Amino acid sequence: MEDIDAMFSDLLGEMDLLTQSLGQETVPPEALPPTNQEVNYSIGFTDLNESLHELEDNDLDALMADLVADLNATEEKLAAEIKGLKTPSPTTSDLPPPPKGLSLHPPSPHPLPASPASSTSSSVSTPASSAASSLPPPPPQNAKPTKEEIEAQMKADKIKLALEKLKEAKVKKLVVKVLMNDGSSKTLMVDERQNVREVLDNLFEKTHCDCNVDWSLCETNPELQLDRTFEDHENLVEPLSAWMRDSENQVLFQERGEKYEVFKNPQNFYLWKKDKRALKDIKDKDKEILIQENFCGTSIIVPDLEGVLHLKEDGKKSWKQRLFQLRASGIYYVPKGKTKSSRDLVCFLQFDNVNVYYGKDFKTKYKAPTDFCFVLKHPQIQKESQYIKYLCCDDARTMNLWVTGIRIAKYGVSLYENYKTAEKKAAVNSVWMNRSTPSSSNPSTPSPTIKAKTPNQANGHAPKPQPTAPDSMDFGNFPPPPSADILPPPPPDPAFPPPPPSLPAKSSSRPVAPQHKLPANFPPPPMAMDNLPPPPLPPPIDDSPEAPPDFLPPPPPAAGFGMDQSLPPPPPDPEFLPPPPPEPVFTGAGAPPPPPPPPPPPPAQAAAVPRAPVRPSGSVRKVPPAPPKRTTPSLQVGGGGGGGDFMSELMVAMQKKRGDH
Amino acid sequence: MAITSFLFVPPAFSSTPGIGTLLCQICLLHFSLSLSPSLSPSMAAWDLSVTVEDLGPDTPPVSLSVTSDLHVGGVILKLVEKTQIKRDWSDHALWWEQKQCWLLRTAWSLEKYGIHADARLHFMPQHKPLKLGLPNGITLRLHACYSSPVFQTVMHICRMLNIRHPEELSLLRPIEEKKKKKDKDSTEEIYDLTEVPLSSGTIHSFSTSRPCLYNGMPAHFADSPQMEAVYKMLSVTQPPPAPEVIAKQYRPASVVDKAHINGRWLDSSRCLMQQGIQENDRLWLRFKYFTFYDIEPKYDVVRLTQLYEQARWAILLEDIDCTEEEMMLFGALQYHISKVSQSEPQMLSSSAAMDDLESALQSLEVKMEGESSSASEMLVETLFICFRPKRLTLKGYKQYWFKFQDTSISYFKSKEESIGEPIQQINLKGCEVAPDVNMAAQKFLIRLLIPAPEGMNEVYLRCENEQQYAQWMAGCRLASKGKSLADNSYQSEIQSIHSFLAMQKTNSSSHGNAPANDESINTHSLVSPRYHKKYKAKQLTPRILDAYQNVAQLSLTDAVMRFIQVWQALPDFGLSYIVVRFKGSRKDEVLGIAPNRLIRIDLGVGDVVKTWRYNNMKQWNVNWDIRQMAIEFEGNVNIAFSCVTADCKIVHEFIGGYIFMSTRSREKSDVLNEELFHKLTGGHEAL
Repeated sequence: MEDIDAMFSDLLGEMDLLTQSLGQETVPPEALPPTNQEVNYSIGFTDLNESLHELEDNDLDALMADLVADLNATEEKLAAEIKGLKTPSPTTSDLPPPPKGLSLHPPSPHPLPASPASSTSSSVSTPASSAASSLPPPPPQNAKPTKEEIEAQMKADKIKLALEKLKEAKVKKLVVKVLMNDGSSKTLMVDERQNVREVLDNLFEKTHCDCNVDWSLCETNPELQLDRTFEDHENLVEPLSAWMRDSENQVLFQERGEKYEVFKNPQNFYLWKKDKRALKDIKDKDKEILIQENFCGTSIIVPDLEGVLHLKEDGKKSWKQRLFQLRASGIYYVPKGKTKSSRDLVCFLQFDNVNVYYGKDFKTKYKAPTDFCFVLKHPQIQKESQYIKYLCCDDARTMNLWVTGIRIAKYGVSLYENYKTAEKKAAVNSVWMNRSTPSSSNPSTPSPTIKAKTPNQANGHAPKPQPTAPDSMDFGNFPPPPSADILPPPPPDPAFPPPPPSLPAKSSSRPVAPQHKLPANFPPPPMAMDNLPPPPLPPPIDDSPEAPPDFLPPPPPAAGFGMDQSLPPPPPDPEFLPPPPPEPVFTGAGAPPPPPPPPPPPPAQAAAVPRAPVRPSGSVRKVPPAPPKRTTPSLQVGGGGGGGDFMSELMVAMQKKRGDH
Repeated sequence: MAITSFLFVPPAFSSTPGIGTLLCQICLLHFSLSLSPSLSPSMAAWDLSVTVEDLGPDTPPVSLSVTSDLHVGGVILKLVEKTQIKRDWSDHALWWEQKQCWLLRTAWSLEKYGIHADARLHFMPQHKPLKLGLPNGITLRLHACYSSPVFQTVMHICRMLNIRHPEELSLLRPIEEKKKKKDKDSTEEIYDLTEVPLSSGTIHSFSTSRPCLYNGMPAHFADSPQMEAVYKMLSVTQPPPAPEVIAKQYRPASVVDKAHINGRWLDSSRCLMQQGIQENDRLWLRFKYFTFYDIEPKYDVVRLTQLYEQARWAILLEDIDCTEEEMMLFGALQYHISKVSQSEPQMLSSSAAMDDLESALQSLEVKMEGESSSASEMLVETLFICFRPKRLTLKGYKQYWFKFQDTSISYFKSKEESIGEPIQQINLKGCEVAPDVNMAAQKFLIRLLIPAPEGMNEVYLRCENEQQYAQWMAGCRLASKGKSLADNSYQSEIQSIHSFLAMQKTNSSSHGNAPANDESINTHSLVSPRYHKKYKAKQLTPRILDAYQNVAQLSLTDAVMRFIQVWQALPDFGLSYIVVRFKGSRKDEVLGIAPNRLIRIDLGVGDVVKTWRYNNMKQWNVNWDIRQMAIEFEGNVNIAFSCVTADCKIVHEFIGGYIFMSTRSREKSDVLNEELFHKLTGGHEAL
């Protein structure tokens, strides 16, 4: 198993390498990089195939889908670049050598990540990319333009390209194994821009669960006997990076009622002093008022908590009682012999640097008075330490009060926003029957889920029946069936940028067309496993070489294989960049049934949808590991973490700038 | 007997925030207007004497010959003719001294008003100058309306000052200052707004909507430099007060003291004259209802500034309790706000959004530089480090060659070896940084608590001098937040560390009278007098600096908002106290009135013993004869109390006022529903 990890990290390293080498605009656009790449990959994949047999099928599928998505994106980028480099040549034949800055870094100076072959139990296995030490230099100042327009266009494109590379090169990715309630697991790739919400959405797609607001990602620390639910706005990669190499920590995907209980029954938190009977009968409108009062004002109000808790004394096994008070600014206690007035309170702890965790079975472990314990610690602390604060409550209700109160104090309005998003998500899911297009704010609304409802797939992760081999074979078959018929736009004439106006239409048509047509009329893909993929030139070259804003330029991957030099340059049209909101792009468009067709495909099965959060590409290639049922291509909205970040801001800025011209 | 009942029919909850639809039926059971008994309608003329204020106080009253059916307008006409003064009398009206009321209905006859020959009438302007103490402590002289209900008067004032949502403010009688001062304060600067033309009474068109601004201020402030100065005073926060000024101010020492202040609120339904306020008297304008609706920094510059000032003084004078940590945060925010408002000319909401390619690219460059860590963005120096610090000694420190790059510190045996592998590299991301500085002893320590899987590692770095310390400290601070030295806040971070060090140097000697400029703020100006006693200024400095690092990046508006938010998050926020005597109880207790609830505080224990929320309230009644309030809540909960430290009208107005505040919503029109306010808060004269 270890070599799987190693393989993955190698693979990822390769991709990274590729990404980086792409960063050098001096690389001869001809055939060099592509060939390299192909060689690497085919080797990689054959080896991989063998060791991957040991992985669970669905894991493998999912993971592969992710990886391929990555690959494709890279290829496309390459293609785009080639185009970018090529096109100017007809017009500006006297193109000067690229600016010096660009040639400074030799291609692929990229050290492969050391691939800490972690034990199989560790879910975090590979930090995929290294810190990009060799970033591409800032956008080149192009010299000697023949036409002003073209120059401006090229410049902008290069800036964009540079930024994308920059972005890509730096993105850290983890392969995360998530444990399901039923003991099974799913493996997915998470990149550092994704927050927990996005990962949850991704898991919703893969599991066909009911998407209710209670679904959470939790981390456990068996050594300290702790667990906590990640907050939806949290970044997932960061806390996982704090785990130790040999950590037995796990990520769980489960329903946790307490996560948003405060919004479902605010009275239990804000009116906890009242008697329980009265709280039970509280009217909905009173709940609503409580939420308004406490979460919708200028300031978030923290529940007014005060009570005696047991505090574990540093380094000892004894527990001491103290009167604690929760305030927005931290936890305080009343020193002996003092009053409860604010000015006498002693600050026990503030929340900036700590997270709150539930303790498990502390009665045994630490001789706690009860098992209702919670813990405050810096997320990086993974072992016992005097810097961990252990608190023990008399009952479960008190513990939940405190933990929730602390979360409100720490996260403030984000918590409520998370809830609203989760609620929306759940609502959409329950009504979505007709809705296969995700709203732009909800990345990756699963289209496959549609099927989930029908069959008896309650919490769908039924292991897939298909053999692994075909899948990976499939994978090897890069080129999906030529899909000329699905791609309405005829191949553009190479030399010219497509007419700008056609673009918007195209981008909107793309998502739809493949979705419905593809699965039906596709011939099984050629079994070209070991061969270089034949450049599936004709079909994919639709004339929308430009990507939706946040993504890589999605010129069909085939183009990337260097055969076609006459691709159109990126359209010079200033309008071509749609605003950042991620557009749905297809992945897995091709999804052809694998050659050895397995038993009648249960519709909902193919939960695992290739996920390429940030750079889904419109490529047919993505499909590979598609199990038979994955006939419905998954609609994928990208832009994961990239949404509001610096890069997209920059994009907007650029667009604006160009608009001004 | 006079009882007013305010009845809640169980509110049908509408989707709007707040209490929801409110049906308030007011039953008036009183017999107050006792008409003069059987006045004989003789049309005989009689003499009416009227004092005309404009003729001077010594001039005897003017005598007019009138008949009882003459209407008030006619009286005024006769009066004006008789004085033979040509001027604009349109603002003038008759005030009936004995009855303490204005004769504003000019069509009413003297008979209808019940005026006889013994009536002493005064003819005077309805708008007179008033000295208004603002929340920021500055006094403003302006024309206020003495004849309309205070609620309207406040609306007028707020419109003049450009404060939206005037319903949240009201007027109260100031606390008498002790007279032992040496008349130094009589030279106190008073800003004069009396020149502002009176906007002729279109009160009903007063809307809470956004005012139009010229040059960022309302038109009437743009007229002259003097007026602009007034606007600046209103819209820019005041520098921190000298510690002596804080110490001199009245501070409530107990809940009961705080309760007394609430006895000073004016009655919103009656006019200033009726409440004994004379021309040029002094009143305070304060936020009374602590539900600040629809704050919009762009339009609410004055409102926000004054709100901040009121909050600041509430903290400094311990009107509201907070913990020491919170006090340090308030101190840091005040420091930051005063610093930023000195550098920013106007209170502008600076948006962080980059809307231009240039700026975006620029920051990209910075970013990239940071990542490629060019040599200039690196600190290299000889420092001392200690891993197992024993307090108070400088022993255990070893000297190494240090390099600060990105967010990590690495150290080497010597400069020569710095090309190779460091002895150790410490990543500071997520660590805690604390100063341990003593200027006098030239001790410059940086204490680092670095998280690791096993716990936190405590490391001390010792610097040689101030300059070195400031650079490394700033670097550590940024690195702890994941920023590198290339971050553009690095220089400003160094600056603020320097200025805090300077504070530590000067504090002990400085005498706080000098207006605080950036370098010499006395930290005692930022905290309540309790901490003046507890800590020396230089002891406070590091603690405030500690809190400061979390707020140093805020824009002015954000910092002001943060201050207000932290204030609002205090447990006791929004409570107005009144000492009351509950029915059946023999001792005084305190009623706390908050925006959403009433609380009962046992004076003996000092604890909240009971909470009632308004949304469970069914009705409340005021028995004006025995000055008692009775409130009924859902579930047959009834309470009744009489008020000790304030008139029950004040309590009634607080509760009715908060109910009113909760009915505000965006869907409704922008126009303030004055009628509803009076319905909910009015006394038995209402309606």
